[in-house]
Amino acid sequence: MRIPIRMISIATTFFWVFLIVFFVSAAYSVKDVQFEFEEPQVDLTPDNKILFSLPIKIDNKGYYNIGSFNVTTIISDIEGFIISQGSTFIPVIARGKQTIATHNATIDINNLLQNSKDYLFNDTELKVHETVSMELAEVIPVQVSTNFSMPWGAPLYNFTLGGIEYTAFNGTHMTVTVPISFENHAFFDMTGRIQIHMYNSANILVGEGQTTIEAPQNALYNGHAKLSVLIGGITENGHFEVYFSTPFFNFGPLVISYG
Amino acid sequence: MAEEKRDFKKRLQGFTSKALKATIKGVLFYGIYFVLSIFLAPISEIVPSFQQTIEIFVIVYIFLMVIGELTSGTIFHHFFNAAKALFVILYLIFSLKGGILSMTVQNVNLIVDLRLFLVVAMLLGLLGFAKSVLQAINFLSEKAEHVHF
Repeated sequence: MRIPIRMISIATTFFWVFLIVFFVSAAYSVKDVQFEFEEPQVDLTPDNKILFSLPIKIDNKGYYNIGSFNVTTIISDIEGFIISQGSTFIPVIARGKQTIATHNATIDINNLLQNSKDYLFNDTELKVHETVSMELAEVIPVQVSTNFSMPWGAPLYNFTLGGIEYTAFNGTHMTVTVPISFENHAFFDMTGRIQIHMYNSANILVGEGQTTIEAPQNALYNGHAKLSVLIGGITENGHFEVYFSTPFFNFGPLVISYG
Repeated sequence: MAEEKRDFKKRLQGFTSKALKATIKGVLFYGIYFVLSIFLAPISEIVPSFQQTIEIFVIVYIFLMVIGELTSGTIFHHFFNAAKALFVILYLIFSLKGGILSMTVQNVNLIVDLRLFLVVAMLLGLLGFAKSVLQAINFLSEKAEHVHF
């Protein structure tokens, strides 16, 4: 019986030594792994979605490979509605090697507007949930996650239509000039078209017009739209229906009363 | 009288050698812990309670090891060895919280999944426990043979 006991002793000792050395060296080699998250970049995708790019540099100087490296970003609004989700997966980061990856997340403003039109006109905050997971030495799963807020700047902040000016055009029509102003608080320059429909108090369409806009980010836009309106249809009050068409989003009607 | 004195001397010698062996084992184990703790320092910096957890484990383990050595040649030696193996299993389960370690620093949440490590360690602990039981059986059977003769 002594020989089997001795064999068990040897095997147990060997595996304990192996397990402890492996675990300690895997833990120790973490300090030689460097993660660098560089400055995030904002760009446009070919299908006009806003693209957030986060370049990640991983320098694995540790003793073991890193497996299943995954970065996941979930962007949601204050109420928890998920606006965007992006994931980057690197199967193996070999030891002694440097890996550079770009983590992307896209925001489709049209989807955003389905939830609330406030994103166009009011500054708010978006919640970002960032998760980084990996397998140290390809066997020890580790996950780091954090939540933070990201300011959302409204592209049409404080959008207002000013006082209407009427000028005679011909016997049947007048030209109505509608001043337009807003501030582009978004992190992108905005170009596009604003179309305005004018309705009288009887809710009859009396005229329409459009204008192009160009508003660089963080700039105040002041412009006007000229509408050709039937003289007979003009009433003291009524409402405008405003339609926005930009590469980033299409929105309308925004109803604004006048008079 | 002289025989009694010789017997006492023999017992003292035996106890001294056991104590010496226990001391050497204890010091050696502490030395290994000391070297490993240098390598585990990065974890201790992140997880403040890690160092304390390991220290308590080392103290109890060395205590059981010393007691086990001092009682060698008796059935209690095997009891303490079995207790040591069970202590390793239970301590790992409780200190590793079932294998999922999580901690939050400011707004950052860290989760380390050590279930695989825990399972392997538990299996090795069980193997150690089984070895102690076999040693105890072997000890008793050998003792019985001696009595028979």
